[in-house]
Amino acid sequence: MQHSSSPLSRRDIKMTMSKPVNNSGVERLEFLRSVHNRNLVSVPSPFKKSSYRKPSRRHKSSRQLFTDESKRINAVLQQQQQQEQQDGKPRPIPKVTHFNVNAPPSLRPCKKYCDITGLKGLYRSPVNNLRYCNSEVYRLVVKPMPPGVDQEYLKLRGDHFVLK
Amino acid sequence: MSRDNSLPPLRVRVLEDPPLRDQPEPFQDQSSYNPNVPIAIDFGSSKLRAGYVNDPNPSHIFPNRLTRYRDRKLAKTMTFIGNDTSLDQAVRVQAKSAFDGPLVTNWDYVEDTLEYTFNHLGVAANGGISNPLVINERLATIQSQRANWYQILFECFDVPGVTFGIDSLFGFYHNSGPNSTGLVIGCGNEDTNVIPVVDGKGVLTESKRINWGGNQATEYLTNLMSLKYPYFPTKLSPFQYKTMYEDYCYVSQSYDEELEKYLSLDNLETNNVVLEAPFTEVVQPQKTEEELRLQAEKRKESGKRLQEQAKQKRVERMIQKEEELQYYTQVREQLKDQPKKKVLSILQNSGFDDERDFKKYVYNLERSLKKSQSTELEDGEEDDQDTENKFELLNVPDEQLNEEQLKEKRKQKILKASQDARNKAKEEKERAAQIEEKKRLQDEQWRENDLTSWIKDKHQKLNKLISQRKERIKMRDEMKDRKSQMSQSRMKNLATLAEDSGRGGSKRTRQQATIDNDPNDTFGANDEDWMVYSDISQSPEALEELIEDQYKEIVALERVLLEFDPNFTEEDTLDAQYDWRNSVLHLFLRGPRPHDGESIHHQHQMHMNIERIRVPEVLFQPNMGGEDQAGIPELCETLLLRKFGSTQRQLSDVSTSMAQNVWITGGNAKLPGLRERIVKEFSEFLPSGSPFSIRKSQDPSLDAWRGMAKLAQNTEDFKHGYITKQEYLEYGPEYIKEHNLGNVHYFE
Repeated sequence: MQHSSSPLSRRDIKMTMSKPVNNSGVERLEFLRSVHNRNLVSVPSPFKKSSYRKPSRRHKSSRQLFTDESKRINAVLQQQQQQEQQDGKPRPIPKVTHFNVNAPPSLRPCKKYCDITGLKGLYRSPVNNLRYCNSEVYRLVVKPMPPGVDQEYLKLRGDHFVLK
Repeated sequence: MSRDNSLPPLRVRVLEDPPLRDQPEPFQDQSSYNPNVPIAIDFGSSKLRAGYVNDPNPSHIFPNRLTRYRDRKLAKTMTFIGNDTSLDQAVRVQAKSAFDGPLVTNWDYVEDTLEYTFNHLGVAANGGISNPLVINERLATIQSQRANWYQILFECFDVPGVTFGIDSLFGFYHNSGPNSTGLVIGCGNEDTNVIPVVDGKGVLTESKRINWGGNQATEYLTNLMSLKYPYFPTKLSPFQYKTMYEDYCYVSQSYDEELEKYLSLDNLETNNVVLEAPFTEVVQPQKTEEELRLQAEKRKESGKRLQEQAKQKRVERMIQKEEELQYYTQVREQLKDQPKKKVLSILQNSGFDDERDFKKYVYNLERSLKKSQSTELEDGEEDDQDTENKFELLNVPDEQLNEEQLKEKRKQKILKASQDARNKAKEEKERAAQIEEKKRLQDEQWRENDLTSWIKDKHQKLNKLISQRKERIKMRDEMKDRKSQMSQSRMKNLATLAEDSGRGGSKRTRQQATIDNDPNDTFGANDEDWMVYSDISQSPEALEELIEDQYKEIVALERVLLEFDPNFTEEDTLDAQYDWRNSVLHLFLRGPRPHDGESIHHQHQMHMNIERIRVPEVLFQPNMGGEDQAGIPELCETLLLRKFGSTQRQLSDVSTSMAQNVWITGGNAKLPGLRERIVKEFSEFLPSGSPFSIRKSQDPSLDAWRGMAKLAQNTEDFKHGYITKQEYLEYGPEYIKEHNLGNVHYFE
């Protein structure tokens, strides 16, 4: 890598810093502080616009963001549809969105594997829907399985109950 | 088992956390800074790669993680980013990503990370960055993500312009050049893309995404392993699972075939990976032999003393009871001729309710005396020789003895009775032993005279025992299950019996019809009624004991058969049928060696076998991981055989050149065997004889960054997708500038 050959010198801070061998609490903290101080950027930051103020951001989860996106696309489609009725323009169709690049379900038959071991799962327990490969696995794992664990196994292949 | 000892021990790999770093992330020299060289940033969900585009490699590669660490003494929060998070254990475990799944959700983190990156790249800035930027996006990313990127780049860092593109296409651009036709399989951390490229332009309308990447695979492995070892003593960190995935998983060349033989002993010998979680061994202080001996002696002595004390006490109590009994027997004799009224008053004076109460008391006294006598007889078996001559007072009439001697005589009387009983029991035992011996001799004779019928008989017995054992085991299992028919009928019986005794109990006090004399109650008239009690007294624990006893019987019988029946070998015994070599579960959980549950090392060991191929297989069969999607080969097949004018039998020109230029890129493409497997799948679905070529670069995780750098150096191509600040201000955050490697408009 390039930087390893370049001379280690920057600003007025020594670069020969290294982690203390004896990792006692005080030394450790001192080391962390020194690393932190070295990374500190002066205020106001030279990298940012001088007029920039950090906005207060709302954190949304990925799931929320995807829902918002699908709402946005539907809203655009609806709006365009209304316009189409008014001036007869052809209706737009979604071209490339997050949702239509999703790979379609497989057309090949789904192979069955034992949920416990991963071997070929020729049998299925009628009680909890788990697939298993032989009578030993059934007798020792599937049958005496504590409640709830079966759902965790099913979850691995997306076949668990989802409460809505 | 002698065979086990001959096996060499398996190689054990210790699962360490990756070592902490001791050097902080270096800074690049500001003196060589050029404000016109574009900066390429591959902002991945797992790693960030950044550098000036005129360098061959990104100068900074670090995990895209950030820790806010509170310094309590100074009451300040320190921020650590990337490699600096692994300087310290406490800092590392708190590190978080700006991503939630595939999307950036924490833009504060992005802002800090970018500032940190520019700082380390040696950017000399004054109120903004003057270098053009190249940044990657996901395939068909959602609009809010791009809007946020625009905002942060233009409004915060004040960059002059930026080009966005899809990392898989950047990777293809790097490997294949600007205007080629081909297909790229991008194996990312959060998803896997299949994108066709025609004349250097990605055809996004035909691109597909599988929602499965390195991160999902690691999580899948984590879940599999924690379900496989639910009682594992330590909790492994995400880092450890990640190393497990990166180091030991590989793509199987033909999954179903390999699966079939995976748990065979031969295959496990080479492919079973033993991983041991680090633990601190607790060493018990060893006592010397002398100390142990002294301790044992001490314990023995105090035990003996206690026994003696208890015995003394018992004898005393017995004597007391005996005296009492004698007294009350006398009283009973006296009361016989008295009128009833007087009897009652006498009894009531001495604390009894009525005559019944008195009788009951005496009866109980007698019983308890008998009981204690019989226990005494069991205890004192060893000291009966010296008691022979202690009964001299028994033959002396009472009149000749004084008070003290009388007491002694009574004591002797009791001891005598108990000794007699003891002798009787001994005789009985001897007789039983004699019968047993006679039986044995008979059996031996039978064997010598007619071996075949003897063997036949023994086999019959053995089979009966084994089938009985099976039945009992089944019964025990059923009993443990609360919902089984057996436990339900047991509960029913218990309930009816409890109801009966409850009603009876309340009535007995009122001297009315009780359970004993209720004329309507016919329970017990039929002998089978009593079976209820044997039914309810059966508990899983009692059955367990029975099964254990029966097992001993079977083993004994087998031993005899092994000795005398030439056709009966070790392998026919019940134990041999439970050999761990034949147990799929044992091989799956414990590998090709016997398991020692006591060994602390064994307890901390995980065996990775089928998981090694099961986890990467999800890319080919996403159904296995719960994604209802087609796998990589199926997507490629559809693209090459059904699109761009091709048919099942005949590839079009575009598809032909596409098949000859397939590239696999992305960090997850480092999986061993991935390329070979895809080659195999292609040769299966392509019309026979069609040429194809599938390639992977040396380090597929760097492809995207190198592609960015290459693009930025090609001024003509770079211009196409370059969005200037002016354009952003004019067209707003929804603006997309289409170019060969970037995303396109959402609508047509």
